[in-house]
Formats: sequence, C-alpha cells, structure tokens
Amino acid sequence: MIKLQNVHKRLGGRAVLAGFDLDIGRGETLVLLGRSGTGKSVTLRHIVGLMQPDQGHIEVLGSDISTLKGRELMKHRRRIGYLFQDGALLNWLNLGDNVALPLRENMLCSASEIEDRVFKVLSQVELEQHADKLPSEISGGMRKRAGLARALVCNPEIVLYDEPTSGLDPISSSLINRLIDDLKSSTQITQVVVTHDMASAFEIGDRIALLHEGKVRALGTADEVRNSSDPAVSQFIHGRIEGPLAREPLPEPQPETETDEGSDPQQKENIQ
Amino acid sequence: MVGWIREFGAFLRRTSTTAGFGLMLIWRTALVLPHALAPRRFRNILDLIFIYAIGALPVTLVVSVFTGMILALNTGLSLKDFGQEQMIGRIVAVSLVREMGPFMTALILAASVGSGVAAEIGTMKISEEIDALEIMSISPIKFLVLPRMVALTLVCPLMTLFAGVVGILGGILVSEFQLGVNWVTFKNDALLHLQKKDVYTGLLKSFIFGLTIATVGCTQGLITRGGATGVGSSTRRSVVVTFLLVIIIGYYVTWMFFS
Ligand SMILES: Nc1ncnc2c1ncn2[C@@H]1O[C@H](COP(=O)(O)OP(=O)(O)OP(=O)(O)O)[C@@H](O)[C@H]1O
Ligand SMILES: [Mg+2]
Repeated sequence: MIKLQNVHKRLGGRAVLAGFDLDIGRGETLVLLGRSGTGKSVTLRHIVGLMQPDQGHIEVLGSDISTLKGRELMKHRRRIGYLFQDGALLNWLNLGDNVALPLRENMLCSASEIEDRVFKVLSQVELEQHADKLPSEISGGMRKRAGLARALVCNPEIVLYDEPTSGLDPISSSLINRLIDDLKSSTQITQVVVTHDMASAFEIGDRIALLHEGKVRALGTADEVRNSSDPAVSQFIHGRIEGPLAREPLPEPQPETETDEGSDPQQKENIQ
Repeated sequence: MVGWIREFGAFLRRTSTTAGFGLMLIWRTALVLPHALAPRRFRNILDLIFIYAIGALPVTLVVSVFTGMILALNTGLSLKDFGQEQMIGRIVAVSLVREMGPFMTALILAASVGSGVAAEIGTMKISEEIDALEIMSISPIKFLVLPRMVALTLVCPLMTLFAGVVGILGGILVSEFQLGVNWVTFKNDALLHLQKKDVYTGLLKSFIFGLTIATVGCTQGLITRGGATGVGSSTRRSVVVTFLLVIIIGYYVTWMFFS
C-alpha cells in the first residue's frame, strides 16, 4: 500500500530523512513514534506528495507518487485522508461546510448525499451539534476532531494522522482511539498514526516504528517493541531523560546553500 | 563590501524568483479563468467584490473629495493670477480621470485590500490550510487565487470611476465657493476637453492596477513562511511592492498612450 525505500530529504541544512525504509501493508495500522523534530510530519508529507524526496522511492497505492502530476495526482490524493497537526480548517467556513468541502469542490456526490455523509462523520467525532459553528468559535480539540471528520468524509483508503490525540482531553482521546480502532476492524483502511501518546500507540498499532536520525530505528508489533532490548526504544517508551536519544537533533554547520522549501522552485511548482 | 554584494545578489535572486512566481500565477489563473463562471465560484467572486468595494468605500470617498478639492484649489489659484480660472474644469477632470483617480484608488486598494489578501493567504499557508486544500484535490489557484484576482481586477476600475466622479464634485465645490467659477462653466469646460481616450486609458490603467494588487497579494501570501512574523512581513511587502509597481506601470501606460 505504502512503500518508502531509502528516502533521503534535507531540510534547513539538515538531513531530516536519511535512508528511511518502511513498508506498510493494506489494512494495517502503523504507529510512527519519534522525538519532536525527527521528521514524522515530514514523512507523512512525503506520502501524500506535498514534499518530494531528494533521493529514494515512494510508492503509494501502487504508483510512484513523486512522478504523478496534475490530474493523476489529484485522483490519487482523493483516496487519501490527512489529519493535520492543527486541523487546518478554513476559518471562514463553519464545521459542516469545512467537512463538506472536499465532496462539494470535487463534485463527488449529490447535495443530499453530502449532507448525510457530513452528518455521519461529524457524529463519529461527536460534533454533529456544532456543525454550524466557525472554527474560531470552538476549542482546539474540537477543531482537531473536525479535521479528522474532514479527513474521513471521502471514504479514503489510506488515512494519515498527525498527532490525532495531542491536546485532547482523555475522553476525546479515547474517542479518537476507538474511532481509529473501529476503522481498522470494519474496513480495509490503511492507517499511519503519528503520536506521542504511548498508551494509544500500543493500543491501536498493528506495528510500531520508531524514527531516529532519519531512519527507522525499530519496527515491530506492540509486544516486540515493548520487550525490545534496544536501549533507544526502551528509553523512548519509558520517557527516560538519559540514553541514546538524549539530545534534540541540531542542524549540522553548513556552507551557505539554501535547501529550504520556500526558495525551492520545485516546491513552488507544486502549487497548482 | 563583499558581504554587501552577496546580500544584494541574494536580494536580486529573491526578487526575480518572486516576480517569476507572480507571472506564473497570472498565467495559471488565466488558464482556469472559465471556472470563474461556475456557480459556486461566481457567487464567491460577487461576495468578494462586494466586500472589497464596501471596505474601501469610505476611504476612497474622503481621499477623492479632498484630492479634487486640492487640485482645484492649487491650479485654480495659479490660473486666477492669469485670469484663466474658467479653464479649471478641464484641468481637474482630465488629471483626475487620467492619472490621479486610478492612482489613488490603486494605492487605497493596495493598502486596504491587497494587504488583507496577503495576510489571509499567508495565514492559511502557515497553518497548513493550503496544504490541506491540495491534499483534498482542491486547487488553491481555482479556489483562492482566481476569485481574488477576478474580484480585485473588477473592483479597481469600479472604484476608480467612483473616485473620479467624487473627485470632480470636490473640484466643483472649491471652484464654486472659493474661486468663484460657476459649476456650469466648470462642467462645460470639463466635458469639452475630456476625451474618450482619457476615460479608457484611466480605466485600462486601473484594470492593470487591480490585477497587480491581486497578484502581489496572492504571491506574497503563497510564499509566506515562518509563522506570524512571516505573515507580517508578507503583508508589509505586498503593500510596498504594489506601491512601486503601480507607480512604474502607471508611468508606462501613460507614456504608451500619450507620447
Ligand atoms: N518546510 C521546511 N523547511 C525547512 N525545514 C523544515 C521544513 N519542514 C520541516 N523542517 C524541519 O524538519 C525537521 C522535522 O520536522 P517535522 O515537522 O517532521 O518534525 P516532527 O517529527 O513532526 O516533530 P513534532 O513531533 O514536533 O511534530 C525539523 O527540524 C524542522 O525544522
Ligand atoms: Mg509534526
């Protein structure tokens, strides 16, 4: 379903991904762990083609996402749902319209069908009573849940979650975890979940990957990871300060070359 | 010295990439122009026209009345020295319609609407909303840029017409009450000397200005990065760049038609 092979990506003068390999099968839920700034969001952005690897190969839903352009890329992305770290709702549309947006803009179904589907996904995240509120009128946790509803409204085959439960109260977190679990059992949906919440990682993940220094440091089922002898893994899951993961990654000193995204013409080309 | 040169080189490179991005944006928007007629987009465009026009209306009103009054007073007093104050009509009308109207409307719209567009799109950029649109297969060009470009390109000539009319009324007020030139004399002189060419070059100019304001605003918005400070500098840059472009483009359009 999703295959990343030897992916390299430099950002801001630092190798964020350096030989990243990951293979995710259909119907699998993979949890991606890692310290802040290790490139988890960057990995998700590569999977949807928002970023192109400097080197390496990324295959999603049977095609190489970095070679897709225009209409093909659009068709591909319609099969993928993405929950952004902060929801990324449009602030001038109310929740209902935000969630309906991908259906309306892509003219995927009739008006009444849209209404049904929007209501259904909003109830899944328990926001059906707030459909007419603007994003600025609700809390951050509610915005995130609305973002999740929007990610699910097109019945995607792949859903990518960027920290679905961070900033949520425990009850909302459990609600999201249950939702991810339900999706897993009721459909053949493939899910990649970036999270810092260890309990939910072990609960929902079929497999768990730990990202460290641009590579997958450890990969295995919940039990395998829990009983791993790798000191980095046990340091991470127990949140110990001392250990191989002790330092936040820092940019290496670099000669003056601009590799950042904004001045990269390739990146600008992608805005269409 | 070397550092200064390198700095300047980086500035030139940045400017040319941004300019290229802006021109590409116009081209890409032109390619999807027919979408402006799709009911959803069309309604959005009408809304934006309404919002932009209403937003800029009070300032435009005040600025153009006073510009007309200043023009009339300045030239009127000099003309009076030569006993030629009956020529006041043509001078106020022609310079307002041909130059001042388009120019001041563009500056007002750049400061009030263009900066708003840059800030709006810039905020969307840094809060990942633009990325979210792309992932939902919604083209930011069709969804955000097209409606803003069309709306501003239409609002600018509209507001220019309004500014011209109001400015001339201001000129009439001053002539009537301070220069002792009857409004009928003013009107006759203005109508006799105001040519069709003045009107259409003025409108053409404001049309180009509108497109410029929208392009700069959208471009600065889309290239925003670096959090709230980034949005701040995009907004500021959109105003500065538009001011410069409006002056330069304005000169060349006049030169093309009147020399
Ligand atoms: N567009 C960009 N331009 C330059 N550097 C970037 C860009 N996007 C990300 N980075 C850098 O890449 C690194 C990884 O960022 P990323 O957002 O993937 O971290 P993360 O693992 O998701 O962290 P968190 O858990 O805090 O969300 C960071 O050091 C960041 O500064
Ligand atoms: Mg992240």
